[in-house]
Amino acid sequence: MLAFILRRLALLPLVALGVTLLLFGLLQFLTPEMRASLYIKDPRQLSAMEAVIQKYKLRDPFPVQYGVWLKQLLGGDLGYSETAKMPVGEAVRAFFPATFELALFSFFPILTIGIWLGTQSAVKKDKFIDQVSRFMAITGYSLPSFVLGLVLLMIFYGHLKLLPPGRFSLETDLLIHSENFRQYTGLLLADSILNRKLWVFWDGFKHLILPSITLCYINVALLVRITRSSMLEEINKDYVRTARAKGLSESVVINKHARKNALIPVITLSSLLFVGILGGVVITETVFNYPGIGRWGVNAAQQLDIPGVIGFALLYSCLFVLGNLVADTLYAYVDPRIRLK
Amino acid sequence: MKIGDKFIEVKRVAKQVDKFTFRKFLCIILSAYHLIILPYAWSQVKNPDTYTYLTISDVDSMDPAWSYDTASHLQILNVYEPLLAYKGSSTEELEPLIATKIPTPANGLISKDSLTYTFPIRKGVVFHDGTPLTPEDVKYGLMRFMLQDRDAGPSSLLLEPILGYPATRDEKGKINEAVFKDADRAIQVKGDNVVVHLKRPYAPFLTILAQWGVVVSKKWAAANGDWDGTEATWEKYNNPKKESAPFFDKMNGTGPFLLERWDKKNKEIVLLRNDHYWRKPARLKRVITKGVDEFATRKLMLQAGDADAIYADRPVFPQVQNLEGVQIIDELPTMEMNPTPFFTFHIDTTANPDIGSGKLDGNGIPPDFFSDKDIRKGFAHAFDYSSFIQDVQRGKGTRATGCIPRSLPGHNPKQKWYDYDLKKAQEHFKKAWKGEVWKKGFQFTLTFNSGNVPRQTLCQIIKRNVESINPKFKIDVRPVQWSTFLDRMNTSKLPMFVLGWNADFPDPHNFAFPFMHSKGNFPGLQKYKNPQADRLVEDSIKEVIPAKRKAIYAKLLQLEYEDAPHLVLVDTVRYRTQRNWIKGWYHNPVFPDSPYGSYFYPIYKE
Repeated sequence: MLAFILRRLALLPLVALGVTLLLFGLLQFLTPEMRASLYIKDPRQLSAMEAVIQKYKLRDPFPVQYGVWLKQLLGGDLGYSETAKMPVGEAVRAFFPATFELALFSFFPILTIGIWLGTQSAVKKDKFIDQVSRFMAITGYSLPSFVLGLVLLMIFYGHLKLLPPGRFSLETDLLIHSENFRQYTGLLLADSILNRKLWVFWDGFKHLILPSITLCYINVALLVRITRSSMLEEINKDYVRTARAKGLSESVVINKHARKNALIPVITLSSLLFVGILGGVVITETVFNYPGIGRWGVNAAQQLDIPGVIGFALLYSCLFVLGNLVADTLYAYVDPRIRLK
Repeated sequence: MKIGDKFIEVKRVAKQVDKFTFRKFLCIILSAYHLIILPYAWSQVKNPDTYTYLTISDVDSMDPAWSYDTASHLQILNVYEPLLAYKGSSTEELEPLIATKIPTPANGLISKDSLTYTFPIRKGVVFHDGTPLTPEDVKYGLMRFMLQDRDAGPSSLLLEPILGYPATRDEKGKINEAVFKDADRAIQVKGDNVVVHLKRPYAPFLTILAQWGVVVSKKWAAANGDWDGTEATWEKYNNPKKESAPFFDKMNGTGPFLLERWDKKNKEIVLLRNDHYWRKPARLKRVITKGVDEFATRKLMLQAGDADAIYADRPVFPQVQNLEGVQIIDELPTMEMNPTPFFTFHIDTTANPDIGSGKLDGNGIPPDFFSDKDIRKGFAHAFDYSSFIQDVQRGKGTRATGCIPRSLPGHNPKQKWYDYDLKKAQEHFKKAWKGEVWKKGFQFTLTFNSGNVPRQTLCQIIKRNVESINPKFKIDVRPVQWSTFLDRMNTSKLPMFVLGWNADFPDPHNFAFPFMHSKGNFPGLQKYKNPQADRLVEDSIKEVIPAKRKAIYAKLLQLEYEDAPHLVLVDTVRYRTQRNWIKGWYHNPVFPDSPYGSYFYPIYKE
């Protein structure tokens, strides 16, 4: 098992290198003038187009540009992200904790509700709870997140004035940027506990509720459907009948025997979901004005901020590899017949 | 008694409560909430000494010599100070700021030949770091602005009037070594005065200084690793990397606010009151400018009182009307010509699908299609100006009569412009290309940058009206990404393109040159050249007597009408959305990001 994990981890740099090479190559299909649009945003600056292309060496051949970038990378420098207005490494460190916090905060409800509701609707097929889960799945899956987000914001912030957008309130903002607050992790909730400021924790918590509900409602739909169909397949199998016949209680049959076997596709999906949320949830972040990594990634892509795009892709590919690795390890845990070699 | 019995007992008692009394009670509570608590909550000024402005724009750099965008200059306006400023809402009248007098020929501070300007420098002004301001700092600020000269930056705005050339490097990027000596000679410290010698008379010089010539501390710059002001080192700081300058994210000015922090992660800039300001300190303690991309979120935050002013443009106007506690101030003049459709006189044909066959055969257009005046006039008559103002501007704004907007001198409200008249359009199209166009028709692509709704509507109006004149006329409207748009426009591949222009400084020259001079921003792309227009623009800049200048601009606008190298559509007005507890705000179209952003000094909440 350990050898398996190490081997997979050793592959990580290769995957990352492949990703950057591919992206760099694809971006070369854009003309230097197109790539200069990152620096030229106004007709007043048009006359300087050629000078900008020269300055940022946008006309150099692909291997030269890639070589320069790679050399820079080996020196530990990922380049400067024009859209974030800071070096790429710093941008990742700045934006990722917020997204990580949001992902953690919404992923566990997604997982618990998804698996529980999926199981229940399979066991009580076509009964009330199944219909409820079907309704939730259809609405959750077809409801665009900006609609749900805005409706929630209008009710809980606009009308009830309870749960505001953003990541923290003005008071917290002033405190965490003062000398009385030390930022250890970048995760607001963790830092507030470490600083023993419970009201900051409560403030951060309040700001996480709505984006989490939005993410939860939208992402739980798929998980419920997958769990349900996978469970349905399992509970009709012979071993379940045997378990029942030997007099095991229904909860043991369902929760221990059938569900454990039904979890494989659920694990695959969950790991993908988690990585997806970690890679940024642009619309939710935009609606709730939440400073996550997704908005930066999209901005960088839209404005052709090449160091930004590549930095973001690197992070995402690493997350993806790690997510898959975790899923593979979990397969072996829930189904001991799977041996990792 | 068991718990179940207790529950039944409670239920029985509850049933006995008189329903009528209960309803009455509920009514009283609700009315009290609506009559007492809610109005109280609405009338309460939230965070009375903090002003929060929500915008969509990102700051590029805090460096006054680097930034060329409104979001950055909004912060610069409130932290740094120039020698002179605009008085109140005026775009013409100036008042002294770091200088103690406005130079005029009458007070002798402008020489008779209009070439030498003397600025007496105010004493007792200190920078935010505590160092006193000296005339040497004024000189350094102007020198740094010119000599930094980054690509696509604003340096030419001062280089041109003071040194007479627009750049510190040649086309190949080689530095002109004489620049330092020229600048050092042109700007001199004499006692408590700073004297600036111009290369040639330059009418808008003071208005440019009031907008761009801010004072920075030489000592602070050198101590923080920027240029030390000497000839030996200036080339090292020419065309630098943006983030390498300390001025990029630190600010040390003399203005009413100082930079507390620029939180790039949360897209937030916090300014703190300068309690040692040389005038009376501002009434606001903190000013927060926050990036919130989504309009609905901005609106909700304004309604909740968490924001005091927000960016809201014309299309969302109905959504901000009649909001409780929110005030709208409309009909605010601007200094812009936006949007404007331009014709390309010589289109580049290499790999260019936008001109179809590239011939006048009904399936394309020849590269010099728009060089025929009648084609351009046909388009000018085919445009429905009133519908455009109605649909896109919601009826606000007036028809433009030339490239100089109403808010500036040189604008001529009586200047003729083309009417929407399809018959006249038809006559011109029939005359164009010796009748060939009418006989064979044409086809080309009209491009705009995607996501820009007013420009899209404009293109659709052109398409609809021109195609209705002759079934053989075909125009394809195509949205493209800004990067693609820029690339194709820069190589003169777009037959016709739509762009806008916002002024750098409040002077008609800032419109006459980019719109009409063959070396200007747009004619350069269009390949439009009229020697007469060039001459008029050049004459106007040298003329310092306002009446004579106005006469030159009148001629230029007439020429613009006859040539129609572009279409002028509307003199845009904007509106401001703010909480009604905001007091002291005033509009000046010169302020960057105006009327959404503002000069925060006079503002207070009450």
